[in-house]
Amino acid sequence: MIVYRCEASLESVFTAVYLAYEQKRVHEDTVLCLSDEPLLFGEDVKVVPDISKTHKVIRTLIRRFGEDDYISLCMALASEDEESAQAVYRTIVRGLKSECPRGHLFDCLADANVHKAFALARGVSTEIGHQKQFLRFQELDNGVLYAKIGAKYDVMVFLMPHFADRLPIENFMIYDEKRNLFGIHPASHNWYLLRGEEAGMRLELSEEETYYQELFRHFCTTISIEGRRNQKLQKGMLPLRFREYMVEFASQQWKQ
Amino acid sequence: MSLMDKLGVLTDAAKYDVACTSSGVDRRGNGKSIGNCVAAGICHSFSADGRCISLLKILLTNECIYDCKYCRNRCSNDIPRATFTPEEICVLTMEFYRRNYIEGLFLSSGIIKNPTFTMELIFRTLWLLRNRYHFNGYVHVKAIPGAAPEVIEKAGFLADRMSVNLELPTAEGLRALAPNKHRKSILTPMRQIQNGIQVNQNDLVLYRSAPRFVAGGQSTQMIIGATPESDYHIINVAEGLYQKFGLKRVFYSAFVNVTGDKALPALPGGPPLLREHRLYQADWLLRFYGFRAEELLDENRPFFNVMLDPKEDWAVRHLEQFPVEINRAPFEMLLRIPGVGVKSARRIVAARRSANLTFMDLKKIGVVLKRALYFITCAGRMMYPVKLEEDYIVRHLTEEKDRIQFGSDGMSYRQLSLFDDGNYSKPVSPVEQLQTAVGQL
Repeated sequence: MIVYRCEASLESVFTAVYLAYEQKRVHEDTVLCLSDEPLLFGEDVKVVPDISKTHKVIRTLIRRFGEDDYISLCMALASEDEESAQAVYRTIVRGLKSECPRGHLFDCLADANVHKAFALARGVSTEIGHQKQFLRFQELDNGVLYAKIGAKYDVMVFLMPHFADRLPIENFMIYDEKRNLFGIHPASHNWYLLRGEEAGMRLELSEEETYYQELFRHFCTTISIEGRRNQKLQKGMLPLRFREYMVEFASQQWKQ
Repeated sequence: MSLMDKLGVLTDAAKYDVACTSSGVDRRGNGKSIGNCVAAGICHSFSADGRCISLLKILLTNECIYDCKYCRNRCSNDIPRATFTPEEICVLTMEFYRRNYIEGLFLSSGIIKNPTFTMELIFRTLWLLRNRYHFNGYVHVKAIPGAAPEVIEKAGFLADRMSVNLELPTAEGLRALAPNKHRKSILTPMRQIQNGIQVNQNDLVLYRSAPRFVAGGQSTQMIIGATPESDYHIINVAEGLYQKFGLKRVFYSAFVNVTGDKALPALPGGPPLLREHRLYQADWLLRFYGFRAEELLDENRPFFNVMLDPKEDWAVRHLEQFPVEINRAPFEMLLRIPGVGVKSARRIVAARRSANLTFMDLKKIGVVLKRALYFITCAGRMMYPVKLEEDYIVRHLTEEKDRIQFGSDGMSYRQLSLFDDGNYSKPVSPVEQLQTAVGQL
């Protein structure tokens, strides 16, 4: 059994997929492993991420499976699940072998690996949706919009295109405090990621910021209908873990 | 009056409007202005009543000349009044939007002076927002019944969704509770918007860059429980609106008595939320599951079942069509199985091409087996040996939900039996023990 030892990154996993095909491995007897745990009878191969090989794999995936399914595979890999690499690898193998038409990669949900990849992608996709909903920007005194998130999965690469398209003329940055990762968008320029920078930077809110936060808090409390009060429903739709990042749930209440 | 107070007054005045969806339009950002639209819509927060906050839902003004009995803003009601200037609305929208608080603006209004004047004010606000503030996000505005058609049309080219509220399901109800509104004046702008959308679609085929007219379609809302209409009546009206007026959504709003008018029903148990919920479920069945109104209810059974949702209710009354074989049944039939939604039905159809599906696979696909298991077979077998019998299935479908509620209001599917009393298994309370001891029971 061949065991490709990858890092938890898209480049590493896709390079391993490339290698598995290049070295003509028997796919049923090949494993992509994200951990260092030794496997019985396994022959380890260390994978060195390679940009050009990654791009070749990406091109093939998009051509054969279509853009949407390719994105779903990327989402499955972003789940930080230990088995994600293996599930994605087997899904790709199955898709290529069965020559499934574009957009139908995840049809055969009865297959355990396909279902695993599908479930992981769905989880990440839900998290992306939640972050698009509940992320809150604060205006700093230099006019930059700043948002802090604590995402369950590594979703920054999926969030940035959405906000870059939405706020093209704004300088904004999103900070994922769990991964110490910045997504930075300078006005009218391309966005980029910044990893490992110190987060202890000076954060001074602009003069108007607290006023608009108060306004929104006031709006949120006023819009609720007393006769229909239903906090269980609210909790179901807006899980508690997001609230520490949201201005409308900040402790200070609107005073008259 | 400060902006904070105005926002309070005019949000409070707008909160009984239901529509707060930002769906129906997919528009990329243009790189120069702020905003885009996502087809599925995005809810940005949820208020304490569990309803979503997607749009900045406000009235332009609550200084209304009408005197509709159910409305908080009726002119005979003594409440604080306020009016936004168009600039204030624009600034609020932009500042909230760039902080990702909202997905866009929902602008409605009380009738100030006359309908056309009000509609013109709304149009002016919209124009400013789109052209001066370069807002490219979602905008939903009300078309005011009775306003000049030209203004409504102009507003339609700037808005993503428009709505005219039907308010009450029947003309009689409207006459009784909203003396200033008429069925005809409500349906006229609705028809106008429908025609406008149709004409615009033809234009778009010819000229791809033609301006879009109400791209997200139009919606309406009805108040439930203020007048004595039955569910059957309401669902028929909704079906008519979908078919004849090409509406995107019909919203149902459980009546909340805010004015205390003597013509309105008192609701000691709070607003009829369960009824509203059942209507929404039925509404989904009409739009996505291929049901027709007369299949769900009829003259003899004009109200929805309290304990079963409309789909379960339909299924137990049509047991001759069940069980359905998952691996063979057509898509339309899969949609009619309780516990199978549109997504799971699609996944079933896709997945069964490559494998024979088992109950385990169905669970993975997302089918709610605890509801579906009475109605399906996989490869000719049912999951458990169940009786295909109305009584038996209803008992099992309802019992896990809420045993105490079941039969407590005298409505029960259970056959009367001497020993099968709902209170039979209740533990004896200390008071009862005492009463037995002293011979009072």
